[in-house]
Amino acid sequence: MTGVTVIAEPRPKTRNGTALLIGLAVVLLLSALLGLGIGSSSMTLERLLLAVIGQGAQTDELIIWTLRAPRVLLSGLAGMTLALAGLLLQRATRNPLAAPSVLGITDGAALGAVGFLFLFSNESNSLTVSIYWQPLAAACGAAVFAVLVAVLAKGAARGPVSLILHGFALGKLAQAGVTMLMIVGPVYRANQAATWLAGSVHQARWIDVAIISVLLAAIVPVVLLLARRMDQLLLDDASAEASGLPVMQTQALLLALAVVLTAAAVSFVGAIGFVGLIAPHAARLLLGTRALPVMIGTAFIGAVLVVLADVVVRYLFAPFEVPTGAVTALIGAPYFLYILFRSGRAHA
Amino acid sequence: MHDNTLQDHAALEMRDAAAGYGERLVFEGLDLSVARGRVTALCGPNGCGKSTVLRAMRAMLPLRAGAVHLDGDPLENWKPRALARRIAMLSQSPSAPEEMTVVDLVRLGRYAHRRRFGRPGAEDRETVAAALAATSIEDLSDRPIGTLSGGQMQRVWIAMVIAQAAPVILLDEPTNHLDIAHALDTLSLVRKLSHEEGKTVVVVLHDLNLAARFADDIVFVREGKVASAGPVGRVFHAENIEQVFGIHCRVLHDEETDRPFCIPLAAKGG
Repeated sequence: MTGVTVIAEPRPKTRNGTALLIGLAVVLLLSALLGLGIGSSSMTLERLLLAVIGQGAQTDELIIWTLRAPRVLLSGLAGMTLALAGLLLQRATRNPLAAPSVLGITDGAALGAVGFLFLFSNESNSLTVSIYWQPLAAACGAAVFAVLVAVLAKGAARGPVSLILHGFALGKLAQAGVTMLMIVGPVYRANQAATWLAGSVHQARWIDVAIISVLLAAIVPVVLLLARRMDQLLLDDASAEASGLPVMQTQALLLALAVVLTAAAVSFVGAIGFVGLIAPHAARLLLGTRALPVMIGTAFIGAVLVVLADVVVRYLFAPFEVPTGAVTALIGAPYFLYILFRSGRAHA
Repeated sequence: MHDNTLQDHAALEMRDAAAGYGERLVFEGLDLSVARGRVTALCGPNGCGKSTVLRAMRAMLPLRAGAVHLDGDPLENWKPRALARRIAMLSQSPSAPEEMTVVDLVRLGRYAHRRRFGRPGAEDRETVAAALAATSIEDLSDRPIGTLSGGQMQRVWIAMVIAQAAPVILLDEPTNHLDIAHALDTLSLVRKLSHEEGKTVVVVLHDLNLAARFADDIVFVREGKVASAGPVGRVFHAENIEQVFGIHCRVLHDEETDRPFCIPLAAKGG
């Protein structure tokens, strides 16, 4: 070789995760403002901002604070919750197709929630126990179906599609259960239970927002502490184990957290589908593979998705209350088909 | 006590060990000791149990009987992270997402050393840099692994194993999907790790001549039993190989490398 000095090429800078996350937070804020401003009586930005800070007209403040704010907040929180659940499932199973709705866990939670209404209603159609037990019932339903999927898919042939098929079949089973309970159950419950089949934020109340906030505040720190483990889990089982990660224990932990998150979201807004699928993929596309930024990004994107889906519902379909879940499915289902198509060569 | 004398030179020791999958026992009554600071090759025909032995040495497979001792302590006494600080292992077909960068992947080798939370410390960064340098892949460090060739990828995996900074390294067929140039390259690196840094290496190899060229000790495994074991010069001879692999062969000696090599002639009874 001749004495050519090789000038080191400047290395491509690693993508600036922090800037992107701030960008996402801004998008979330704008979506929330849009969610607050749009409805049967749309407001100008000025009127909206005045009402938000409590300086607006009384009717504006009433509309914003009693009707729209809980709805927007609940949408955002439920979106975060479902998106995180999806991320945990994708990481735990190393399956790009995994999501709470795809694995039948949302349907399991819905069955738990509806079953609860059915079991604890008396002749006069009122609940014999507090409604606040409902999330627990949803969690039980979600847990039963998550364990069933895990056990059945473990015994069967491996591969991303096998797991999805098991989840799909079990999800159908849970849906059938929900349908039956709705038909044999008290009539007015049927209407309410329909919510869990499609997912909707129509009946958002401040108390719902409060409960889901508390649940998230308890679970999210645990999830964040698992970031390092989730990074290791990107390796195959043997390599992850060899690096010092207790693989099975970590997977079980992630699955359990995903179940709790799914149940929390489903109890309040129902089975809003595909958020848990799309949000982690979008975050990974933007932020790469490191779990911590991806987690935060996933939560933001999930929130944006559901808030915007609800805006679409209110703006395009008013006065009909189209379920929010229908809008997310409109984007999510084709995307799911796309990944399914690619999954032969994809690696979670 | 004979335990203590063994402990002086054996890094890993299997005693009367049995393990298997489901109903089937792959090996039973296996005694094997791995000398500290040397390269030990596990050789044998397909399905003889050499990979299973390796997995059992890393507690990836529960033993049905017997014990594996690391530094004189049975494996079940080691916690996952503590064990990972002593033994690193490269499995047969490791995988990671295609868009992960080389440096991110190598950094995963630091899991057992890093503080539970927070960014990688100075020691982590130095060890990762040293691992990238040892495998000559510094230039690739920001590349997504999906863009690498097979030979480059193998270097990345070995860099991850080096980053784990464990005194014992287990490698399961590290040359499997590599052409001869990359296979030689990989094994020279392994040999260097052992001879220059005193690592204890156990490597499953099915290519006899690569084993003869790069290992210090060879363990011949046949049908879940150790057929013969010892320094290459002592066990690498035609009689042993013919018995273990069921072939006729001739073993010659290369003066320049001072290593034996095997010319396979025919399968027995074939």
